[in-house]
Amino acid sequence: MFNAKFSLFSGAHELEQKIDEMHDQVLESSLYFKEAFEIYLQEGRSQNYRRASKKIKNIEAKADDLRREIESRLYIRNLIPDLRADVLMLVENIDKVINEFDEVAHKFYIEQPEIPTDFQAKFRLLVKQVCECSENMVICSRAFFRDFATVRDYSRKVYFLEHESDKTWAALKQDVFDSDMELAHKIQLNTLIEDLADVADKAEDCIDAVLIFTIKRDI
Amino acid sequence: MDLSYLFFLSSGLFLGWSLGANDAANIFGTAVGSKMVRFRTIAMVAAVFVILGAVFGGAGTSETLGALGAVNALAGAFMVALSAALAVYFVLRMGVTVSTSQAIVGAIIGWNLYAGKPTDYETLAEICLTWIICPLISGVVAVILYFIIKKLLKYSSMHLLILDQLTRTGLILTAALGAYALGANNIANVVGVFVPSSPFKPVHIGSVLTLNPQQVLFLLGSLAIGAGILTYSKKVIMRLGNSLMRMTPMLALIVVLAQAIVLLLFSSVSLHNWLIAHSLPALPLVPVSSTQAVIGAIVGLGLAKGGRTIDWGIIGKITVGWVAAPLMALGICFVSLFFLANVFNQTVYLP
Repeated sequence: MFNAKFSLFSGAHELEQKIDEMHDQVLESSLYFKEAFEIYLQEGRSQNYRRASKKIKNIEAKADDLRREIESRLYIRNLIPDLRADVLMLVENIDKVINEFDEVAHKFYIEQPEIPTDFQAKFRLLVKQVCECSENMVICSRAFFRDFATVRDYSRKVYFLEHESDKTWAALKQDVFDSDMELAHKIQLNTLIEDLADVADKAEDCIDAVLIFTIKRDI
Repeated sequence: MDLSYLFFLSSGLFLGWSLGANDAANIFGTAVGSKMVRFRTIAMVAAVFVILGAVFGGAGTSETLGALGAVNALAGAFMVALSAALAVYFVLRMGVTVSTSQAIVGAIIGWNLYAGKPTDYETLAEICLTWIICPLISGVVAVILYFIIKKLLKYSSMHLLILDQLTRTGLILTAALGAYALGANNIANVVGVFVPSSPFKPVHIGSVLTLNPQQVLFLLGSLAIGAGILTYSKKVIMRLGNSLMRMTPMLALIVVLAQAIVLLLFSSVSLHNWLIAHSLPALPLVPVSSTQAVIGAIVGLGLAKGGRTIDWGIIGKITVGWVAAPLMALGICFVSLFFLANVFNQTVYLP
């Protein structure tokens, strides 16, 4: 009896764990990204930054493996047939947020942009907002699997933070183009600001989908 | 046993086969359609439980049908079952779901009219009343189950994947219960009219189990239902899909559970006796339609969810089918009995 019960739910428990791990990767990439960005502002492309950016790369690679594993398990074990496509899309959206963190961190490493001291406060604010946005997206997305009320609460928070990051993004862009820097420098910073803001946009896209999936999940 | 008996019984067995093929969609159609459970697994479970329900729980409803009209000649019983089967076939061809229970009642009244036997109008009224209250009760039960399960899910915070596993298990268990209830309630439709002319003797299985002649007849009828489930229901399920309303696996579970509860309420002798013993209003033991119970449950759930998903045009069409099926069976039976008696010289009733 115990064995039957165990085998009935073991596949589901294993997959549940994998999905949780996938969410953990977003949190970790967000934390390491904040750390890496701070290092970059203080030290530029140093060995410390290289190590921090490498950590994000490793997280991204692990998230890719997890995504593939979740996809294959869902199909092989024929789990949640009615919501399988939704869960797969959700996992892919989560992966996109992690990819975006990795891409921006890598861009800083390759392009080595010079961030004037005047802009650093707004850059820090933008990074803080996009990271918080992605962290709240994780809470909301986890809740899709367990608790609908939390989905609604945290989706509002994600939308708010995304909106705030948009405001910071617009202000920062204006500051950059109003400055006396060379046009090439302005364009370089502008691209990086847009890439940073994209993290929050991707988190928002993920939550848009979660809200629709939640309506579908309701019995 | 006379071989001619088996020939005459064939119309009942055919009716049983078509009942199995059609009504299985009510029990596990969505479970298979949504790929939650494999057809082979759930069809085997349903076939076994339909037999158990018919053999061990089918006595109550056949008594009521007997009270409506005791078809006392084998050829008459053959034609009653065949007329019901033909009526079901023709109404189904019109693209409307139909009730075997109603068709058999129409056919029995046709036999009564032809044989000049009085129809017990009290029993008829009781049966007709169940055609209205069965979907109503089913709808109410489904709505109660819906709100209970919704609340439970809200407070349990169960993970989607665990819920998925539980739903699968629940779908198989409710299919077993639904199949048991279908066997117990609807076996009277299939071979109930053959009970008065049954030539079977008691059958001993080992030293513990003895089947009385009626149970042997029910076993044959339920084997036909089981064969219908195993051989043809998959085609019906694939053809129908979710045509009535798009349902989640959890809604499908609620619908089947409501249907099973209602069918058991209308067929359990023990429950009937218990309610009477406690001076509570008891439901009559009447074969009711599993299709009607399912539609009642779906409409109930549709209303509970705001009523926007219900297609009242389809409901109207189904209601017309419910009236057309017994009338058609009555007409076919009356005319066919005339031919059977006068062209084929068969005794269709005993005076």
